[in-house]
Amino acid sequence: MILLNKLRNKLVIGALIMASQGAMANLNIFTCEPEWESLVKEIGGDKVEVFSATTGLQDPHHIQARPSLIAKVRKVDMVVCTGAELEIGWLPLLIRRAANPKIQEAGPGYFMATQYARILGRPKTLDRSQGDVHAAGNPHIQTNPKNILPVAKALTVRMTALDPENGQLYQNNLDDFEQRWKQALDGWKKLTQPLKNLPIVVYHASWIYLEDYLKLERVDSLEDKPGVPPTSGHLAEILNKMKTHPAKVIIYAAYQDGRPAQWLSEQTGIPLVKLPFTIGGTDEAKDLFSLYDDTFNRLLKTVTP
Amino acid sequence: MNWEALDLSILGPAFLAGLLVLSTHVPLGRTVLQRGIIFIDLAIAQIAGLGVIAADNFGWEAEGWQVQISAVTAALLGAILLHWTERRFEKIQEPLIGISFVLAATMGLIMLANNPHGGEHLKELLVGQILWVSYAQLWPLAIVSAAVLAVWFYFDVPKLHRLGFYVLFAITVTASVQLVGVYLVFASLIIPALTTRMSLGHKRLLFAYLIGALGYAIGLAASALLDLPSGAVIVWTMAILGILYALIFGINSQQTEVKH
Repeated sequence: MILLNKLRNKLVIGALIMASQGAMANLNIFTCEPEWESLVKEIGGDKVEVFSATTGLQDPHHIQARPSLIAKVRKVDMVVCTGAELEIGWLPLLIRRAANPKIQEAGPGYFMATQYARILGRPKTLDRSQGDVHAAGNPHIQTNPKNILPVAKALTVRMTALDPENGQLYQNNLDDFEQRWKQALDGWKKLTQPLKNLPIVVYHASWIYLEDYLKLERVDSLEDKPGVPPTSGHLAEILNKMKTHPAKVIIYAAYQDGRPAQWLSEQTGIPLVKLPFTIGGTDEAKDLFSLYDDTFNRLLKTVTP
Repeated sequence: MNWEALDLSILGPAFLAGLLVLSTHVPLGRTVLQRGIIFIDLAIAQIAGLGVIAADNFGWEAEGWQVQISAVTAALLGAILLHWTERRFEKIQEPLIGISFVLAATMGLIMLANNPHGGEHLKELLVGQILWVSYAQLWPLAIVSAAVLAVWFYFDVPKLHRLGFYVLFAITVTASVQLVGVYLVFASLIIPALTTRMSLGHKRLLFAYLIGALGYAIGLAASALLDLPSGAVIVWTMAILGILYALIFGINSQQTEVKH
């Protein structure tokens, strides 16, 4: 009898756990980059299960195909990615192979963050002599913290449409996030005053949104045309320019090869700064808030001795 | 362990692609080994890549059939050139193939100096990823493989036609490298043929196919369970199976050879 009771208790507890797990993950979401994984967690809390295809140290333009990626995309209710052709090399293939009707392009389960931000770097004329300029503009919107809130709001609307039952909860999470984010934006505005008009050299055109936010002055880019390795003539040109118009800092992203930037730093004596670019790019960048904290702190170290 | 990825609908098309690649590469690999021209596949794939860059410079769509024609044409021209060098400078054919590989690769860099989009197309051609393959994409490879095998065995190409060998090789490599990438093409060509070289006749062909097929099957399953890139895991699985086979059967047959 006691045994039977124990067994029954176990069954009841088991059923409760299963039921609560069912309730826990109402939405199953696949994100392409860690910044969107973090944002989904902010809005969805424990009602969503979320997975990021890339880490902060991977180039989001290219990834290696693994069976688990197809298995994951097959089960999800929604994909949240950057868009603007950033993942064009692999996301369409992955979605086609997974054949999941919920996440087909233009459907409600297909969310591209760049549709909700003001896109910079959209070419006036598309000419292949300009280098790797995408018709859709520069996709790296996450380097400006002001771009996060509009994306968060649109994401909340979309998640509510897919899971109306938890809509109120998502809205409350968004309100809470919005309040904390505005506070953080105020803090960053004060914090980054010394960075205004800071002359920088970048490796790749990954930072135009950050430049726009901080009003940095980009003196030059190691890649003359995006995606095309610098020629010796262009390197000589940069070295010359550094004499007349010296930059204060050379910037590169954690996932990029640091050697070209290192070379320029050694040639000119201008300090080199590695920025996280996204969550996980550095040990300090653990979520959306610490991503910008760390980015600005690393830049500030170069202007304040 | 990642059991949910162990799904036939995920791994099935990739496995079939592997079998199709093996069907032609195992017999081709025997001839390649015999002639000591191991790196010919890298050279031909790289030359086919030049065709892709040229097509891009003409402004042709990356997915279009013109790009395929352009790639095969470049590969065939490369094959004819290598056939000529083999006749003219037979003893130094291997280094000449090596040189054609670096020349084709660097010519690609020069042609792409102002065109990174072309670079992406080239990358797609050379590092095809086996997991992205769908059943529909397998038809062209199946037709090419069947035609190549028919010609190969009907005319006994390895014995009779040197030019025929180069032409068939160029067509096969261009078709398969786009689906599975250059690492798997190289592994499928060399590993089964090399590790079974002690065995004779039909037995050799049978075991070479078996090592290749098991390499793809176990490699795909392992990559699903361990959550690792499939192409790389298949190459390693095939190499381990090949070495095991050579250790167990190769040494035996060597000993029996000595006894005779």
